Amino acid sequence: MNLYKIKPWLLILPALLFLILPAYGLWAAFSESIKDGSDVTLTYYHQLFTSERFLSSLWFSLYTSLTATLASMIIGIFITRSFAHFLTDSLPRLSVWLPMLFPHLVFAYVIILIFSETGWLAQMLTMIGVLESPGEFPILTRDNYGIGIILAYIAKEVPFVILMLFPVYNAIPPAYYDVVKTLGGSRMEQFKTVEWPQISTVVMEIFFILFAFTLTAYEVPAILGTNFPEMVSVLSYDWFYSGSWEDRPLAFAAMVTISLLITLMAFIGYMYVNRKRMRALRGRL
Amino acid sequence: MSKAIEVNNISKAFGSNVILDQLNFQLNPGDKLSIVGPSGSGKTTLLRILAGLDHPSSGTIKLGEKDVTHLDARTRKVGLVFQQPLLFPHMTVEENIDYGARLTGTFSREKTSDLLTAINLTETRTQFPSELSGGQQQRVALARALATEPEILLLDEPFSSLDPGMRQELRYWVRDLLDERGITSIFVTHDREEAMLMGDTIGVFYNGGFQQLASAETILQSPANPFVVQFFDNHLLIDQDHYVPLNKISFSSQATGARVMKAVLLQTSVANGERVAHVYVEELDKRLSLRLPFPHDGGSLDIFIPANHIYSFDSSRGAGRYE
Repeated sequence: MNLYKIKPWLLILPALLFLILPAYGLWAAFSESIKDGSDVTLTYYHQLFTSERFLSSLWFSLYTSLTATLASMIIGIFITRSFAHFLTDSLPRLSVWLPMLFPHLVFAYVIILIFSETGWLAQMLTMIGVLESPGEFPILTRDNYGIGIILAYIAKEVPFVILMLFPVYNAIPPAYYDVVKTLGGSRMEQFKTVEWPQISTVVMEIFFILFAFTLTAYEVPAILGTNFPEMVSVLSYDWFYSGSWEDRPLAFAAMVTISLLITLMAFIGYMYVNRKRMRALRGRL
Repeated sequence: MSKAIEVNNISKAFGSNVILDQLNFQLNPGDKLSIVGPSGSGKTTLLRILAGLDHPSSGTIKLGEKDVTHLDARTRKVGLVFQQPLLFPHMTVEENIDYGARLTGTFSREKTSDLLTAINLTETRTQFPSELSGGQQQRVALARALATEPEILLLDEPFSSLDPGMRQELRYWVRDLLDERGITSIFVTHDREEAMLMGDTIGVFYNGGFQQLASAETILQSPANPFVVQFFDNHLLIDQDHYVPLNKISFSSQATGARVMKAVLLQTSVANGERVAHVYVEELDKRLSLRLPFPHDGGSLDIFIPANHIYSFDSSRGAGRYE
């Protein structure tokens, strides 16, 4: 085998080595989740899928992360397409991207400061007479609808969406918009014909990154979530560190289930994105 | 009969920079106008205003009987072919052609087939733009613009991105297509030869307006001002009022009363089967290319300018008319 043939494998080696860690973690979790002493069992998976707590948690997690992801993407696309020509200057670009430097924890804390029942907004509305007391302010943090979690993720992820989309928008020749206009196309038509074929693959990638992250991340729902239903990451953490050793395989089973779900979605997405990318660039697949 | 397009006193300024200054012209249906001028003179701005992509600071534009000055591009019946083909890469040739026709409600399968035949690309109807050559792509762009059935077709240097051979071929081909279909067109270019090939009337555009709006023959016979003389290089500008046709200048005295000037031979070349001398005339500080009837090995030469062929821009003061 010559160097030319093995070179790609050498180049990808660091990434593969790095993957050993999560792959080992996943394998260890999986083997713990099907182990009953020295026997193999699916008891924990059965328990998991008959547990109302888990199923509520799963639906709540899917709803929360899907809402946060879609809202972040819609807002991000809107901001990028509206302000792409301003973002070529470094100061506006920096100001949009700066929030990415702060941890999610900071955003969770800011949401509490602003939107909690005793937060700035409640006090300000009381001060200007809109509310009689801060207690009338709706519950937006630690609420049953995950509003606080969704708000925190939107604030944190929109800059990421802009970061991913800006280079794509910047590369679209502006004359394409004129082509659509002179052919009788509306603004919606411009988006559909000029922008969407270019951005759809990146949008899909952003969706998977954000969805996978918001579905499984711990700190934001731990701070802003309620006790029931709770995000699946918080539930797994509870099972993992609960006093009962019997709960720990449930935590593993829950995480393995989520990992499989995300892997499956990512695989389907990858196949779709590759087809879309080739179609956008070359037309024929 | 109403005009295909009537442009009245159009002006456009960006801040203090005046791009178009009280411009007027009109075309009858089927007329072909070429607008030629140096790069950056505002030709493309004029075309964008006619297409509705930009709006004039003042003045009016009428298409047929309709005042379209304040209509935006998508509601004007104006087709525009750009410098680049700008085909949609994810659509086939046929889908690209149909795109505008579907948006404007003028789609029909027969028309698409007819246009594909006209651009000689019927076989490529299911191919994607990346599978076509640059010239083929530009032909599809032309068909796409024509499919919307515009009242007037604007072409903004559509051949500038093509190699010289392809450019020349497409010039003839597009001109024939426009003639066959009786399409009213305005063709913008910075290339003088292209302007003459693509338009019956040529608008020499500079400094916010037409320096001359006339046929190629008229521009050759009676250039309007020093700018037109210098831009077309058919004459030698003697001073701000006088010029002489280049083909009347010779290297030997053929008539009495000729004005003699010293020239330095810079280089010789061959064009159209004739020897061409590239000379520098110090007195006028100008370089010229003249037919050289005899071989010459460099050094200085005398050029003879017959007095009876020195013309004035103001014909009443002219010494004669060029025949």
